[in-house]
Amino acid sequence: MAPLLTPVLTLIARHRVLSVLLFLLIFPWLMPYEALAVNILIFGLYAVGFNLLFGYTGMLSFGHAAFLGVGSYLTGMSIVHAHLHWLIAIAIGVGASGLVGALMGHLAIRTRGIYFSMVTLALGQIVYYGFYKAERWTGGENGLRGVTVPAFEFAGLTIDFTNPVTKYYVMLGFVAIALGLVSRILASPFGAVIEAIRENEKRAAACGYDVARSKLLVFVLSAAICGLAGSLRAIHLSVVPIDSLHYLQSGQAVMMCLLGGMGTFFGPFVGAAVFLYLEDVVTTLTRHWMAVVGTIFMVFILFFPRGIWGSLIGRWERATTPSAQT
Amino acid sequence: MNAPLIQRHAMDVQADILIEARHISRQFGAFQALTDISVQFRAKHLCAIIGPNGAGKSTFFNILSGAIAPSSGSVLFQGQDITGLEPHEYARRGIAKSFQITNVFKQLSAHENVRVAVQMRHARFDFFSPRAKLAGVAQTAQALLERVGLASLGQKPAGDLAHGQQRSLEVAMALAADPQLLLMDEPTAGMSPEETTVMMDLITELAAERTVILVEHKMKLVMGICKTLIVLHHGQLLAQGSPEDIRANPEVRRVYLGQG
Amino acid sequence: MVELTPQLLGLQLVTGVALGAIYALLAVGLSLIFGMLTVVNFAHGAFFMVGAFLGIYFQTLTGSFALSLVITPLVVGSVGMLAERFLVRPLYGRGIDYPLLLTFGLSYVLIELMRVLFGIEGLPSSTPAMLRGSVDLGIGRFPLYRLVLIGATAAVVLGLWLMIEKTRFGLIIRAGSRDPEIVRVLGVDVARVWLLVFGLGTAIAGLSGVLAAPTRAVNPEMGITVLAESFVVTVVGGMGSLMGAVVAGLLVGVVFSMTSLLAPEFAELSIFVLMALVLLVRPQGLFGKAGLMG
Repeated sequence: MAPLLTPVLTLIARHRVLSVLLFLLIFPWLMPYEALAVNILIFGLYAVGFNLLFGYTGMLSFGHAAFLGVGSYLTGMSIVHAHLHWLIAIAIGVGASGLVGALMGHLAIRTRGIYFSMVTLALGQIVYYGFYKAERWTGGENGLRGVTVPAFEFAGLTIDFTNPVTKYYVMLGFVAIALGLVSRILASPFGAVIEAIRENEKRAAACGYDVARSKLLVFVLSAAICGLAGSLRAIHLSVVPIDSLHYLQSGQAVMMCLLGGMGTFFGPFVGAAVFLYLEDVVTTLTRHWMAVVGTIFMVFILFFPRGIWGSLIGRWERATTPSAQT
Repeated sequence: MNAPLIQRHAMDVQADILIEARHISRQFGAFQALTDISVQFRAKHLCAIIGPNGAGKSTFFNILSGAIAPSSGSVLFQGQDITGLEPHEYARRGIAKSFQITNVFKQLSAHENVRVAVQMRHARFDFFSPRAKLAGVAQTAQALLERVGLASLGQKPAGDLAHGQQRSLEVAMALAADPQLLLMDEPTAGMSPEETTVMMDLITELAAERTVILVEHKMKLVMGICKTLIVLHHGQLLAQGSPEDIRANPEVRRVYLGQG
Repeated sequence: MVELTPQLLGLQLVTGVALGAIYALLAVGLSLIFGMLTVVNFAHGAFFMVGAFLGIYFQTLTGSFALSLVITPLVVGSVGMLAERFLVRPLYGRGIDYPLLLTFGLSYVLIELMRVLFGIEGLPSSTPAMLRGSVDLGIGRFPLYRLVLIGATAAVVLGLWLMIEKTRFGLIIRAGSRDPEIVRVLGVDVARVWLLVFGLGTAIAGLSGVLAAPTRAVNPEMGITVLAESFVVTVVGGMGSLMGAVVAGLLVGVVFSMTSLLAPEFAELSIFVLMALVLLVRPQGLFGKAGLMG
């Protein structure tokens, strides 16, 4: 490990939220265009929410698109149909995702391990078809259109979401809050419980932890965070495509997490960034993006299961004593 | 309840019944694993469940510890019916167990294993306090590690510990809940003679302060230290009583002919 | 509004059975792979799709539907075996999620592969000449092909059942499903069994694709919804049970079919709602063993 890298990573590990936010602050200037940065920010949050359930608790859900989509649609519909303030619309989006998460989680947690993935995929499809059919509210196949937030004054500045840079930093505010929350939870006693559940469910139960209830709680938290990502996405795109709810969108969260590094704090962002950047580049070169991403995903599963950031952290852990993960 | 269930020793007139099995039966498909077992276990009595292989000891143990439910019958703990409750509810009521096949958090350090177990009593759904600040929890965990002789191995991943050390770790985790009842399924399985002696000493120590029920098939180990023995055979209760009673019991001798 | 005569309902029921037959086959394949390898094949829909494409291809090539019914599953099964040997097998020790994830990635590649080979629009599919036309069932006329489909599926399921119950290979499958360790201890070449079972499972998926092709649009995306539907059937029936796969498959097919007639808006939703209900009442599925679920 390069001699400079170890102390840097140690510093990052100790102040993970701050480090990530610092990085995200300068991030737009690293990207070829700002809209990509916004996209990565949003999907990074989506992956963080998913990672809470998969990377940290060990539950592989294929239904998380439901939360991204519900967040998007409920925020969108609040703005388009109910003409609510965008902040309220976001709150509604997050709340609704949490609720759907509670319902889905209640049904899905009755199953274990390998069934969980199938059940969550199928339950997610209920949400997909539900929104697809409710054309009057959701626009059906064409999606929801017209999710626009008018420019407004704040602290003497004019905030206009048509400017991608402005949009980015406003959304970063939300992401910062979410990341702070996630970090707090992971560092809390509850965080130890969910990791114990991932390591050995039976053992955790034998210690006296109510595994089912803990799982449900993480599920709802995870759903709410993905819902926030969805809410931001609706505002970002000004439309909500119906495919937001399809299970392939769930698969995207899985891929991003694995690419970046499951069970690490920063990994999901790395994964989202790599995935979306690659998509941006590859789709200009070839039509066969699906084959490319599928192959990369398989390669990572076979040879780099810890992901990009995860592998880096792994080497850092071996260079130092086993301590807190980033 | 005619027959005297467990012989009273003069000193233990105060001891009351901690956990009781009433008419426990268990089938697995067509196979009858246990038939109508009724036993009362007294508090602060070191008791062992013994019997030949296939006698149903592990099944009975699993029912007592809440891992599986009986097909019929009930389990009472301190007078309350706990049959069929979730495993974590058993743990919360003060029943701790160590598994037959060592079951620890392999990737976590030994210290973290115990710390997680201790944490259960203090802060379960706390989302916000940094757990590193729960100093009391960490200290208790360290003390427990010392108790079982693993103080210096705290930072090692539990999966890297020697077999006997992992079993000791499990005992530490079981103790973390400060249980009134400690259930141990073949605690010395796979241990060397030295490790076995250490474990049996620890068990004797623990039995002085709380109730311990063992499942063991090494007769010699339990004869010396247990107050009461329960003998199972083909899923039925064959005999129960003090080691002397059991040794003299003709049924038991017949069943164990040729075995230690 | 179409008049709902008993005849119409009856015909719709039979349509449901034909649809259910495909679902049953798919679920059987999934269940086999899961039972033996503890792998949920997220590429199952993709193999179905590949089967549909290759079925048409071989039929065009040889001029015989019957021949393509034989060749296509063999080819699809071979692809499956290659995948198992080189992609899935390295992951068995790693934890239950990894093989699943790999098959998910594989599905992406298979979909794109078919796009490259056959174009993004898909292939036109039609009922084989010999099997066109309709049959009078007493309650009305019903497409001959769909009856053949039901018959073919029944034959395959029967053949599988015989194989599992009566042959040595089947014995190994049954033993392995109960306890993978025992199989190993008995000296059986477990790796070869995994290979063959995965091949068999994917071959069955491919076969269902060939059979289903004349009844629906054949395009690279056709397997995507089918995967979700297979999962529904599996959850409803209970994983690891042949009977469960068949009964649940037929049930799901009928539910979909009847809902299409009686409340068309809710047709797709209906089967997922069915699954949700089963989860509420009996999480292990109709024929599943408690303990695997909940």
